[in-house]
This record gives sequence, structure tokens and C-alpha cells, in this order.
Amino acid sequence: MDKKSVSVTLENVTKRFKDVKGKSDVIAVKDARFIVEGGDLVTLLGPSGCGKTTTLRMVAGFELPTEGKIFIGDSDVTFLPPNKRDTATMFQSYGLFPHMSVFDNVAYGLKLRKVDSDEIKKRVQESLDLVGLSTYGDRAPGKLSGGQQQRVALARSLIVTPSVLLLDEPLSNLDALLREQMRVEIRRIQKSLSITAIYVTHDRVEAMSLSDRVIVMKDGEIRQMGAPDEIYEKPNSRFVAGFVGKAAFFPVTLKEKRDDKWICLFNKHELVVSRPPVEMKEGDKGVLMARPESLRLEEKGKGYIEGTVRMNVYLGNSLESFIQTPFGEVLVQIDDPHSKKVFAEGEAVSISFSVDRVRLLHPDEN
Amino acid sequence: MFRKKQLIHFILAAVIFITADIWIYHTLTSSFDKYVQQRDFNEISLFVQTAPQKEENIPSWLNEVSSIIPGAASLYLSYDFDSGSFVPFASSDDNITLLYEQQRDSEEFKKAMESAYYLETEQISRQYTLTLNGQKVRTGVFVAPIIAENGYEATGTLIIAVPESTSSSYGRLIGTFALLSAIAFMLIAWVVSFSRDPVTGFMVLALFIIVGIFVAFPLIEALRLSFMTDGEFSFDKWALALSPSYIVALWGSLRLGVSTATASTIIGFLIAFLVERTSFKQKRTVSTLATMPVISPPFSLSLSIILLFGNNGLISKQLLNMGNTSIYGLGGLTLVQTISMFPIAFLTISGVLRQIDSTVEDASLDLNASRWQTFKSITFPLTVPGILSAWMLVFTNSLADFANPLLLSGNLRVLSTEAYMMVTGRMNDLGGGAVLSFLLLLPTVSAFLVQRFWVSKKSFVTVTGKPSTTLTELTTAPVRRILTAVAWIILGFILMLYLTIIAGAFVKNWGIDYTFTLANWKAIPDSWDSIVSTLLLALISAPVAGIIAMAAAMLIVRKKFPGKKFLEVLMMTPYAIPGTLIGIAYVIAFNKQPLILVGTGAIIVINYVIRELPVGLENGITALHQIDPSIEESAQDLGADVPTVFKTIVLPLVRPAFLSSMTYTFVRAMTAVSAIIFLISARWYHLTIKILSYSENLRFGLASVLCTVLIAIVLGVFALMNLLVKDDKLTRKTISTR
Ligand SMILES: Nc1ncnc2c1ncn2[C@@H]1O[C@H](COP(=O)(O)OP(=O)(O)OP(=O)(O)O)[C@@H](O)[C@H]1O
Ligand SMILES: [Mg+2]
Repeated sequence: MDKKSVSVTLENVTKRFKDVKGKSDVIAVKDARFIVEGGDLVTLLGPSGCGKTTTLRMVAGFELPTEGKIFIGDSDVTFLPPNKRDTATMFQSYGLFPHMSVFDNVAYGLKLRKVDSDEIKKRVQESLDLVGLSTYGDRAPGKLSGGQQQRVALARSLIVTPSVLLLDEPLSNLDALLREQMRVEIRRIQKSLSITAIYVTHDRVEAMSLSDRVIVMKDGEIRQMGAPDEIYEKPNSRFVAGFVGKAAFFPVTLKEKRDDKWICLFNKHELVVSRPPVEMKEGDKGVLMARPESLRLEEKGKGYIEGTVRMNVYLGNSLESFIQTPFGEVLVQIDDPHSKKVFAEGEAVSISFSVDRVRLLHPDEN
Repeated sequence: MFRKKQLIHFILAAVIFITADIWIYHTLTSSFDKYVQQRDFNEISLFVQTAPQKEENIPSWLNEVSSIIPGAASLYLSYDFDSGSFVPFASSDDNITLLYEQQRDSEEFKKAMESAYYLETEQISRQYTLTLNGQKVRTGVFVAPIIAENGYEATGTLIIAVPESTSSSYGRLIGTFALLSAIAFMLIAWVVSFSRDPVTGFMVLALFIIVGIFVAFPLIEALRLSFMTDGEFSFDKWALALSPSYIVALWGSLRLGVSTATASTIIGFLIAFLVERTSFKQKRTVSTLATMPVISPPFSLSLSIILLFGNNGLISKQLLNMGNTSIYGLGGLTLVQTISMFPIAFLTISGVLRQIDSTVEDASLDLNASRWQTFKSITFPLTVPGILSAWMLVFTNSLADFANPLLLSGNLRVLSTEAYMMVTGRMNDLGGGAVLSFLLLLPTVSAFLVQRFWVSKKSFVTVTGKPSTTLTELTTAPVRRILTAVAWIILGFILMLYLTIIAGAFVKNWGIDYTFTLANWKAIPDSWDSIVSTLLLALISAPVAGIIAMAAAMLIVRKKFPGKKFLEVLMMTPYAIPGTLIGIAYVIAFNKQPLILVGTGAIIVINYVIRELPVGLENGITALHQIDPSIEESAQDLGADVPTVFKTIVLPLVRPAFLSSMTYTFVRAMTAVSAIIFLISARWYHLTIKILSYSENLRFGLASVLCTVLIAIVLGVFALMNLLVKDDKLTRKTISTR
């Protein structure tokens, strides 16, 4: 099972779907370029219809890019059919062969590779053990639960020791508990075999907890890529900020540039914040993005924004306070609420934050 | 870039191949031309040596030239000492003299004449078109000296025009092959260099070639021939077909179609309603009986009607003592066609009735509508599209029907049999037969199109995905009893027809002598060869048609390629075309170079496959649409190429559709007649045609035996098929593993 981990590279890949009835083409993926380093697990994260599946299918070979090239390792695979690529895909709907037993499903790839039958038996058994289904070999896939089917699909993909594992929302059909278990399982196996993996999801928790890097997509475009903490802490747009976590946005006016900082006017206060990721000039409007856990509640008049507590939601390890402000409702998360002062519902409060915990962004919604 | 490189590869390969192809073509034709020229020279010099001394013998000698060189004509010029030149003396054909007069002053002629003067035989360097023996031909003209006895003087000159026919047709054949190989090479090179997935490319290419050769080509040839009379373009055949004498036949076909369709739809609806919408008990038995005629051999029902109601019929003569009956003609034909075709209406309408959600009816009854009102305002309107569909389908089938009119039409003339007479009768006119079949195509295709695009769009029935299990009784007990009685009378009649056939097999001489005998069963050893070849060809066709249909369905549903819609339409075409037309078109197209297939078993198999492909294809497409594509993609992803995916995944998953199209093809092949009758040969005979010829010769006992045999074989295959389909334990209901 020792294989060198290979990278996956997309160079300016665009995919356009022809519409049948003479309507305009659908651009599913627009000029995508990224590199997945060997042994990494990268998630494609984005809202429904943003082109995640299409990107994955192009890497697998089921769709031909309209423009651009795809490399696996150093070789250009753009025009290679799926069966000639060293990839294995786990489909959202699993794609198990309904007319074969679980054993035959898992053995399929090995049989195609003309492995001899004793060897097949041994390896299928190992692989079923790995996913915890050792006694299910004779069952028909239709007679398994969703989670079991999913594990059969995983075993079937892994047994051919692919260099690249492609997963399209593999956990979306499972209940919360099973989903968490399988997530850990997939990550463990991927790491131990050091397989390069691309994982499609629209669940940000899944993306954050699973991946080495996250690629956020919208409308076929890649909006940002980076490590999970980078995406969370330093989003480059309101869209990314809002998609990967909860956030509050406060409008500001840029007053003056000082070195690599901007002095912004916010609610009659002057704040010195880091430069935004996009070019902006004096007098422009901007927004400050703040995560709920970066906000603090203070006595009335002591912070930057005045408001009243509308509702407190107690979550045990934290407390979520919804504050009515002139900028709309703002969520403030108070960690370890027992050690802090909690304002009662209806009380007037003030919200403050430290300027190094907020991020200046372009005011556009996306 | 990648694509550019492929383009260069392709162009390079194409240029190299075409150069080689042209070079080979040239070498072959020119060496053949040389050979032909040399041979002509040799023959001419031999001929010249036999020149008679006496001038009066020359004319008869000239006429002998065509026995040495077929079709050639000659002109003798004698040397005129006064003018010092050659003048025409005698010729075997006036036109060659004419040619000489016209061309004597041309460069080419002068040069050749000069050579002849120096005692050398010469071929004139260009060709001339001459009318020889009433036909225009291109000829090569030779000029040969007649040498005097002294050996150094020419007493005369012989001009011989040799028709080019043989050599040029050979040249054209080489040309065709060169062209075809170039096209084939280009297509293959195109697929190899541009298709990401050459296997799919080749499969698509193969389908296009099959359909092109066996669907498009024969139809085009038939159409072309229908506009040709004696090798020239003309409308004569169409004029004949549209003349009153054949319009009568068209009228006959239409009358028959309308009455059969109407009667069949009524009966079909009655029985379908009884089975699907009432609490009637023996549903299974009735459904089975009502579908029986679909699989019964052609001629069998007509035969049975003749046995019962014919001039010597058991009922008409023995029981009722009626003398001559009028079973022959529109009435009898409508009866037989209705019995053989109402199952189509029954199946169509019961399909629609089954899908009507009975909650709509319940709602109506809830609103205090009576049962009759509910039927009138809810059930019946919802069924109307189905009824129209059924009517159209039966109408099409009735027009295309060929077997029943052949035995029963009497004075009624219908197009399908007229076309057959035109081809097989005295006139032996293939083109005329084609024209009549095209005429038949008009109403059938319009009915088909109306059914496809209009009626099926008007369908209100929606498949809800959860078939309703409860059913509301829509009839009162007396109504139900009447319906039941009518249905049983009809089905009893059908049963009686089948029993008559079996009885006919054991009776000495039906109509005259009803003593029991086994003598008729000698028909089996007598027709043993036909039985074997019928069975063999059907057995070969079934898997071929099944596999091609499923593979084509896979390509059409799952793959993208240019011309997909076109391919699908071409493959579906034979469904709407009467068998007579296909048979005639095949005879026209495949009885000549380069594909001489008429007389072989292959053409019969091809005909079965092509004609039954549409149904298999539709089955396959429907089946594949119900299968999650990611199943096949998973297989491909794990390393299976297209044929492996087809073999290990698609075929097992569409197994029910695959088996049913095989069975369908088999049954249709066993009971074929309309196209096959033009394609059979002494070596490859068909049982149905045997039945026809026995029936025509009034040997009803033998015909009954063969009918019984055919029915037995078909039923046997159905039983086998039921066993096979039952045993799909894994796939049952789990096609989608979502
Ligand atoms: N075969 C196709 N033909 C035409 N349009 C397509 C096709 N496949 C996808 N699209 C379009 O391309 C866009 C991207 O689709 P894609 O399946 O990649 O989205 P996705 O990000 O995977 O969404 P989801 O999270 O809902 O699965 C969509 O607008 C979709 O309608
Ligand atoms: Mg998707």
C-alpha cells in the first residue's frame, strides 16, 4: 500500500454547460486554479449550485473542462477517461452495485486489475474489517443501512489504493452522530494512507474540522483558499466571512491611511484597523467584521455601540446574547458565562471589541 | 496545446493514407487498363488476320467482330488509289460510319490513320460516345491496317469501336472500394485522435454504420427507384400509384383500418375497464386470454375463421348450411384483424386506466355524483388520450397488416397486398411495389406522429409514484354482469378459434370429411428444414437485437456525442414503417454490388434485428433512466472501460428489459411475414410462408399443424422467459441504492 502521495493541480479550469434550448450557457466553474499538495485533504466549500460537484467530476474525469488543464502529479490528465485515472470517487449517492453482494462490490476494482482470487479474498476482508463491516460480505447493498452503505462505498474506493480520493458530500445522508464518527474515520484513514483527498461539502463544521485547507466557492468562482483558521479569522469578503461562521458587520468610513493601517470612522469613534485584503482609498465605505466571540458587553456608554439585550440563550459552556442596536441585531457570545457579568434581557448595554480582533472588509455583500 | 497536436496527428495520418490510397487506386486501374488495352490489341490483330480476300465477303466478316469482342462495331475503309486515301466501304453499324465522317479530320483520327498507313495498329487517344445496338456507350476506338499478301502494303483499314463497359465497371468497383476505405480510415482516425474515449466513439460509429446501411440506405434506394423508369428519372410509377385503380386500394386500406381500429378500441376498452376498474374476479385469466392473439402466428386466426366460416366452414356450411359465405372481404377481414389487434388497444387502455388515481373518482362520488356521472365526467375523459392512442396504434397496425388480407381480402383491395402482387406478380416491378408501400406510409406515419406528439401530450395522467391500492367500484352489479358476459363471449370466441386450429390438425379433410387422422402431422417432417431455419434465425436474432438495443440505450442515455438525436430517430424509424416497404427496400438495396445479401440467412437476421430494435431500445432507455448514473460512474472510476461497464453493470441491471426485448424479438421473428416474404430463399424458408402456401392450396390440415407447432414454440419460450425473469433476487426493487 505504499505509494508516493501525488498533488492535484487545476490550471485555469473553466466548465461551461451547453443549454439545450438555445438559452445561454451555464458557467458551472470559472477559471479555477489551485494545487492540492500530496497527502493533503482539501475541502471545497460553498452554497448549493456553486460548482463543487462539477469541479470534483472534472478531477475524476466524468466531465471534460471547457478550458484549462488538470494535472495529477506531473502528468496532464485533462483528456484521460476516468478509468485511466488513479482516482477513486465516493458519490453522494454511493453508486453501489445493487446486483452484487457487499463482497463483490468491494472486490470489483481488484477483479478488474486481475488480482488472483485468494489475494482478493484477503484484501476484501481486511478492507471490510477496516470499515467495521467484516460480517456483512454476503449481504445485498440494498439491505444495509445508510451508514453501512456509505462504509461499503468507502471500502470499495480505498481497496484499489487510489492516489487521489474524491468525496462528494459523503456524509450528507447520515444522522449527526454517525456523521461525526465517519468524519473522524475518513480523516484517520486518509492520513494513515497519506492519500491526497478532495472533499466536497456545504457544511462548514465538516470543512473546518476535517481539512488541511479549505477552498470557498461561490457561483463557480473560487473566493478564498487557506487553512481553516485563516479562512475563519481572515476572510477576504463579507461572503466568506458569513459563510464560514457567524459574524456581525458594522459600517465604517475610511479616513486616513497610516503605514499598513487604516483609521476608520465608526459611530463617532476613530478605530485603527489592519488594511483590508482589497484595495480601498480614503473616503470609501467599508465594513468591520467581528465574530461573536470577539465581542464584549460593557456597561452602557463604555463601548462602541449602544443597544439593549433582546434575548439571552444559555448554551452551558457559553451564552449567546442578542443585542438590539442601530445596526441591526448583533450576536455576542460570552464564553464561560458564570465568571462574567451577564446583563438581563431588556437592559441597556454597550458592545466593544479590541481592534486587532476585527477585520476591515469591502462593503459589498459578496 | 493538446488539441492542436491531435489535429496535426490526424491531418498527417489522413494525408499519408489518402496519398497511399490514391496511388494504389491509380496503379490498379492503370495496370488493369493496360491489360484491357493489350487484350483488345491482341484480339483485334487476330481478327484482322482473318480478313477475307474478296471484297464481297467483307460485310459479313465485319459482323463477326462482335462474336470476338462483345458489343464491338467495325468499319472497313478501302484504299482508294485515285484519291490516295481511305474511303468507307462497309460497316457493321451505321453509327460508326457516322462517327468516322464526323471525326476524320480531327487531330486524333489523322494521327491514328497515319499509323495504320505505316502498318501499325493504334488506339485513338480519346473516347467517343456511340449508340450501338440501341444503347449509348462509351467506346475506345482502334484503327488497324489490313495488310496485303505482300506484307508491306495496306489494302484497307479497319476501325473498331470497343465498348468500355466491362473494364469501366471494374474500374468503378475499385474506385468505390478506394473511396470507402478512405472514408472508413478517416472516421476511425477521427475517433482515435479526437475522442477522449475511443471505445465509445467506435460503438457510436458502429451504430451509425449499421443504421446508415440497413435503415437509411434501403429506404433511399427504394425512394430513388420509385422515381426511375427504365433507368431514367420519371414520375410514371407515382402516376400509376395515384391512378384510380390504386387509389381504390388505398381507400380499401383506410376503410379496413378505420373499422378495425374502432372495433378493437371498443372491445379493448370494455375488457380493460372490466379488469382495471371493477371488482371482477377472474382478472388474471382474462388478461392472459386477451393478450394471447398478440403472440399468435400470422394466418392462424384467418385460417381458423376460414375453417369455421369459409365456403366449406364448419359453422357456415355444416351447421347453418349457408352455401357461399361472405367471410372474404371487408367484414371478415375486420373481424379477424379486430381479434388479432384488440389486445394492443386493451394493453394501452388498461395501462392508462391503471394509472388513474382512484381518489379522484372517490372525490366525485363523495360529492354525490352517481356512478354513471362519475364515469362520464371523470373516468372516461381521463382515459380519452389513452383511447385515441390505442385507436391510432391499431389503425397503423391494420394498414401495415399483410397476412390476413392475403388470405381473406376477397374483392377488397388493400395496399399492402397490392404492393406484394406488384413485386411478385407478372410485372415483377420492385419500384412499383415500393411506390405503393410509400403510399401506405403516409397514413401510418401521420397516425404515428399524431399519436406521439399530440395525443401523448394531452395525457392528463400523472404517475404519482405511489400506486393506489384501493379501488372504487364504478359499476352496479347488473352492469358488471353484462360487461362480464360480453367479455366472456368475446374471449370464448377467441378460445374457440384456437381450438379450431388444433382440431383442424387432426381432421382428415375439413369441410368434407371430419374423420380423425394423424396424417396431417407429416407436415412436420415435410417442413422440417423450414422449422429449423425459422427457429435458428429467430434464435440468432434475439440476442443480437437485445444486445444492440441495450448498448444503444446506454450510449443514448449516458453518453454525449454529436448526432445523438439523429441516431435515435433513425433507429426508431423502422417502427413506423410497414414491413412490406422494408422488405421491398431490402430487395432493392441488397441485391446488387457491393452488398449482395438477398438469398442469405444474414439478411433475414438483419431485417429482424432492425425491425425489432425500436421496441428494445425504448425498453432499454426506460430501464436506464431508472438507474442512478453514479452506479456506472463508480464502475468506470474503479477502472472499468466502456465495454466492461456494459457487461458487468448495465446488462445485469437492465436484465428484465434485456430479456423482454429478446423475447419480443424472438416472438416477432417466429411470427414474421410481411418483410420476410420478400427475403426468403429456398435455403432460408420461413414457417409462416409455408402456412400461407398450404392455406392457399386449401391444405388446411397441414397448415393447422404448422400453426400449432408455431404457437407451441412461442408459448414455450414465454414460459422459459417467465422462469428467467423471476430469478433476479438482488435487483428486485433495489435498482437505486440511494
Ligand atoms: N450536466 C449539466 N448540465 C447543465 N448544467 C449543469 C450540469 N451539471 C451541473 N450544472 C449546473 O452547474 C452548476 C454547478 O453545479 P454543481 O453540481 O457543480 O453544484 P454543487 O456545488 O455541487 O451544488 P450542490 O451543493 O447542490 O451539490 C449548477 O448551476 C448546475 O445547475
Ligand atoms: Mg453537488
